[in-house]
Amino acid sequence: MSELLKVRDLRVRYPVAGGMASMLDRNRRSYVDVVHGVSLDIERGETLAIVGESGSGKTTLALALCGLAPVLDGEVRFDGAVLPKGNDSYLRPDRRRVSLMFQDPVGSLSPRMTVRRLLGEPFRIHSELSDDPDRSALELLSLVGLSTDFADRYPHQLSGGQARRVCLARALAQKPDLLIADEPTAGLDVSIQGEVLNLLSEIQQELGLGIMIITHNLNIVRHVAEQMAIMYLGRFLEQGLSELVFQQPRHPYTAALLAANPSTNPDAKAMRIDLSGEVPSLLQRPPGCEFHNRCPRVQAECRESFPARESSNGKQAWNCFHALP
Amino acid sequence: MTTPVLEIRDLSVSYHTDRGLLRALRNINIQIHPGRIIGIVGESGCGKSTLISTIIRLLAPNAQIEGGSILFRRNDLLGLDPAAMRALRGNEISMVFQDPMTSLNPVMTIGRQMTDIQYRDNRSKAEKLARAASLLERVGIADPADQLSRYPHHLSGGMRQRVAIAMALMTEPALLIADEPTTALDATLEVQIIHRLQQLQQDFGCAILFISHHLGVIAELCDEVVVMYAGEVVESGTTRDVFLKPRHPYTRRLLECDPARIEQATRNLPVIAGNLPDLANLPGGCVFRPRCDESIDICTRERPPLDGVDHCTACHVTGQ
Repeated sequence: MSELLKVRDLRVRYPVAGGMASMLDRNRRSYVDVVHGVSLDIERGETLAIVGESGSGKTTLALALCGLAPVLDGEVRFDGAVLPKGNDSYLRPDRRRVSLMFQDPVGSLSPRMTVRRLLGEPFRIHSELSDDPDRSALELLSLVGLSTDFADRYPHQLSGGQARRVCLARALAQKPDLLIADEPTAGLDVSIQGEVLNLLSEIQQELGLGIMIITHNLNIVRHVAEQMAIMYLGRFLEQGLSELVFQQPRHPYTAALLAANPSTNPDAKAMRIDLSGEVPSLLQRPPGCEFHNRCPRVQAECRESFPARESSNGKQAWNCFHALP
Repeated sequence: MTTPVLEIRDLSVSYHTDRGLLRALRNINIQIHPGRIIGIVGESGCGKSTLISTIIRLLAPNAQIEGGSILFRRNDLLGLDPAAMRALRGNEISMVFQDPMTSLNPVMTIGRQMTDIQYRDNRSKAEKLARAASLLERVGIADPADQLSRYPHHLSGGMRQRVAIAMALMTEPALLIADEPTTALDATLEVQIIHRLQQLQQDFGCAILFISHHLGVIAELCDEVVVMYAGEVVESGTTRDVFLKPRHPYTRRLLECDPARIEQATRNLPVIAGNLPDLANLPGGCVFRPRCDESIDICTRERPPLDGVDHCTACHVTGQ
């Protein structure tokens, strides 16, 4: 497989809106590091799942990769070429090649446009992609398994699953190499969730896309992603082959997360790992390992410095002084 | 058996829409006994939200209650005047909503919000603040007195949801309705909230009506489960019965679709083929028939009644 995206030590920083003093005096401005040194690789035809709770920086990471969030530092290589830093100019010539399926499907579709127009729009912007936007729009519709009857409907006439399909069709219009799906199944029912995920897998095989899925549903990760990364307060605490991470989590947060996953068998007495303490605020990033105040294996050094990356033969890596065996 | 806190009898609710009458709930029967946690499972469009709105009588203007009754401590809520209903809401029946960021006021401190809702009590401000702090402590928030002066955006998602729970329990309600309260949280915090709810339920002795489409959360938390599909109850019973011995084909298919249950990693996840029936134009007979692979002749003609004693199913084929 060939490498598609290589990210090293990416940081995204947002300014925090302060009072009048911070507007006048540069030194008094404060910032929040939403993505705090993330490295990842995605190959063509491969899926990486990013798991983490709301506020852990998953969506910001996705936006940064599309050039929609201010990158402070780090290197992004897309298909071999290093992309320039900065906010707006970042990625522009190549933006077509990375597409994003936004989290809220109905919110990301204009309520005043029919499905036909919504799907034709990317072809009007990137006119090199198609001579006949209308025909291409209908082709996309059939690619995502919707009949042509849907072409003249408005977004509010679609169900959640159908709206997701339209968003996927729109994301595929620009013939991307990398598709970033932000919570593609959030709010979907289990019976429809499978449809959307199966469709993603099919299209991936057909087009050889690299996919990054953002989710907080661990149950789907095992099925759809070869690689996974566990994000907590802007960092990847553990990442690697999903199979290995599920089998033998090394970071205590990963272990707690996997153990906490509620089972539908009421008799299964899960081996829970109790976490106490609160999730710290990004505004006051704790010193040392961000997880130390909730970690059951915490020691003195965890409060002082962030542990270096360790890995087992490059297939699974984690940042922890006291990793699980 | 004790008298139920809440007894929903034969409730039907419809919405007037451009496409005609949308029959959102049809002949719903649910009983909630004191101190029990009842889970309602169902997919979007099954009528969960309409059901809650009907219980707290906050239905949209185009809704119409077609029939039935909702007995809360033997009083029919549907017959109460607005003032009496207002006295119950947030007092004897309270709610925790899905997204605490939108249910808490972003421009007021936690303390202000928690004292404001004690407007019914004739106490001093200091007493109200002390009560607010004691509730925050009971939901497991550290330094409760300090938190009172903070704003919702200062708190993490898990803390905000616990603040919302503390506020809902402030008046020691007889019934707490929780509408997907863990959707925005990661698994560790989800479990934390569930265990906290179980603990609080025992302390306060209230009944909880818990709505979710996360099957695992329901299995973990609830004593009893009600499975809804397209505006009807298709199966109800104890959590063990429903999850371990599901009878209705819909419940079975739903459980099969849960990716957590599939041991072997697969790129081809099971789905329930077909779509929800159009509620404005219902098919005759069983509502699940168009998607059911076990249907027989009678399923197209007659709607199956919800049959059974403790474990009830509405199915001609698998029911009793």
